[in-house]
Amino acid sequence: MIALVDCNSFYASCELVFRPDLIGRPVVVLSNNDGCVIAANKEAKALADIPMFQPVFKIKKELIANKVVFFSSNYTLYGEMSQRVVNILKTFSSKVEVYSIDESFIDLSTVPHEELETFGHQIKNTIYRLTGLPVGVGIAKTKVLSKLANKMSKKIPNKNHVCVINSDDDRVEALKWSPVTSIWGIGKKHSERVIAIGVATAYDFTQLPLAWVRKEMTVVGECIWRELRGESVMEFITEPKKKKAIGTAKSFGKKLESLDIIEEACSYYVGEVAEVLRTQNSCASAIHVFLVTNFFSMRDKQYSNSITVKLAMPTNDTFVLVTEAKKALHLIYKEGYKYKKVGVNLLGITPEEYVQGNLFKIPTESKKALTKVVDELNVKFGKLKVSSALVGTRVKEWELIKEERSPRYTTQWKEILTLKDK
Amino acid sequence: MDFLLIFGIYPYFCIMEIFSHGKVKKLERQHMPEVSKQTGFPSPATHYMEPKISLEQELVTNNDATFYVRVDSNALEEFNILKNDVLIIDRSLYPKKNSLVMVVIDGEFKVIRIELEAKEKEVTLWGVITYVIHACK
Repeated sequence: MIALVDCNSFYASCELVFRPDLIGRPVVVLSNNDGCVIAANKEAKALADIPMFQPVFKIKKELIANKVVFFSSNYTLYGEMSQRVVNILKTFSSKVEVYSIDESFIDLSTVPHEELETFGHQIKNTIYRLTGLPVGVGIAKTKVLSKLANKMSKKIPNKNHVCVINSDDDRVEALKWSPVTSIWGIGKKHSERVIAIGVATAYDFTQLPLAWVRKEMTVVGECIWRELRGESVMEFITEPKKKKAIGTAKSFGKKLESLDIIEEACSYYVGEVAEVLRTQNSCASAIHVFLVTNFFSMRDKQYSNSITVKLAMPTNDTFVLVTEAKKALHLIYKEGYKYKKVGVNLLGITPEEYVQGNLFKIPTESKKALTKVVDELNVKFGKLKVSSALVGTRVKEWELIKEERSPRYTTQWKEILTLKDK
Repeated sequence: MDFLLIFGIYPYFCIMEIFSHGKVKKLERQHMPEVSKQTGFPSPATHYMEPKISLEQELVTNNDATFYVRVDSNALEEFNILKNDVLIIDRSLYPKKNSLVMVVIDGEFKVIRIELEAKEKEVTLWGVITYVIHACK
């Protein structure tokens, strides 16, 4: 059996662990640079007249009127709390697949069937006791079914956040309960298709002929179909796959016009992604750079462009990547616009050991050694403390404004929780 | 138990339960490879090297349940906790008689000592205080 453990309103819950004064109030977390609502607690979601997950400027008035509490995203905190949850899960099972920052699959094949429900409650209670984070646990024979069980654990009140699909009767009942639109892995387009032919529930979907599913919905559809019927076909992945593309793009703290500051931001992002590349021992063979103005702004002229440059040779060297990214940026930059965002994506990612030296460009060991020293220094002294001079030092001008960010309670001595006398 | 400790803040209200799972794991000491780094005589200490004492190893039993809290006033003097002290709080522990604990009362953090006398009172436990770090400045 497989359990899917996921944290309820994870980002908001992380904030509330350290802010019990806000319990019961609607809380939302905003995306980088406070663009959009990306997380909302139960109380905030209950404000049905406010469309959540929208650009904040559109709903700011309503949010304030309803006394919603805002937080800028504090990924340092969320990432650390997530790690705690994963570590605790590892005390329950030797096989844990970390699926996302707030969801993990865990293998429960050694737990006797009749003890599954108790076990689920133990997981839930232990995580809550140790970290203060509420979780839901769905247990079933396959991943897709455990995802469904997890959903039921939250939606059906008497389940108390733990739901086990144990027998075949349970399974059929669960399938009949779930609308086809909320099956994990079936996108909007496909669910519209099957609804058009009269499929309403997950159960109806499993009654479709396999040949039809395979033909209309490819192997992905087939996989879900089988999993819903109790046949486990999705593997347990305990090691993350090496990424095929790595990228980053963030909005600037304020609109930027001049090329040299945008260049610095761009170089900074290249530095970030190149570091990821090196930790997974791969190289990128192309780099994609894009630049956009703020499309929500009515007053400003709009422009966006992107460019992909193939590198002479796959590399993970920040210095080479920064130089190439800057050349690319020069090609797409146009004067006279107020830019909102620059992004870089590294493409064509191949393992380092497969990289063949180009006749004219032989990889130099000394450069590699330099990069290694830089990475080590950064681990020791903090993110991107040492970098190419091209990155510049005006980080503050374009980096995200983190206005309402909560303290990094668990990673910075200067920001730990304070007990005030009242 | 007379003293009713409600575990958790929200959304689950459940009375303390004791589980055998999720047991506290001691921090593992790193094993050092036994290689002498001296160029002349090999060090006679080679096979006796151990990692240096670390405070965390002594003060933290369950990393994943441990949080640090700084005290901003002298209001807790009765517990020998002074301004600027840092509390080490372990959420994995169950409070015993006389345990110093951090609780939440009406949405506010408070430090109290657990007394198992006939007292009916409901508070929400946040964590058990295991150590107080005090600077002798």
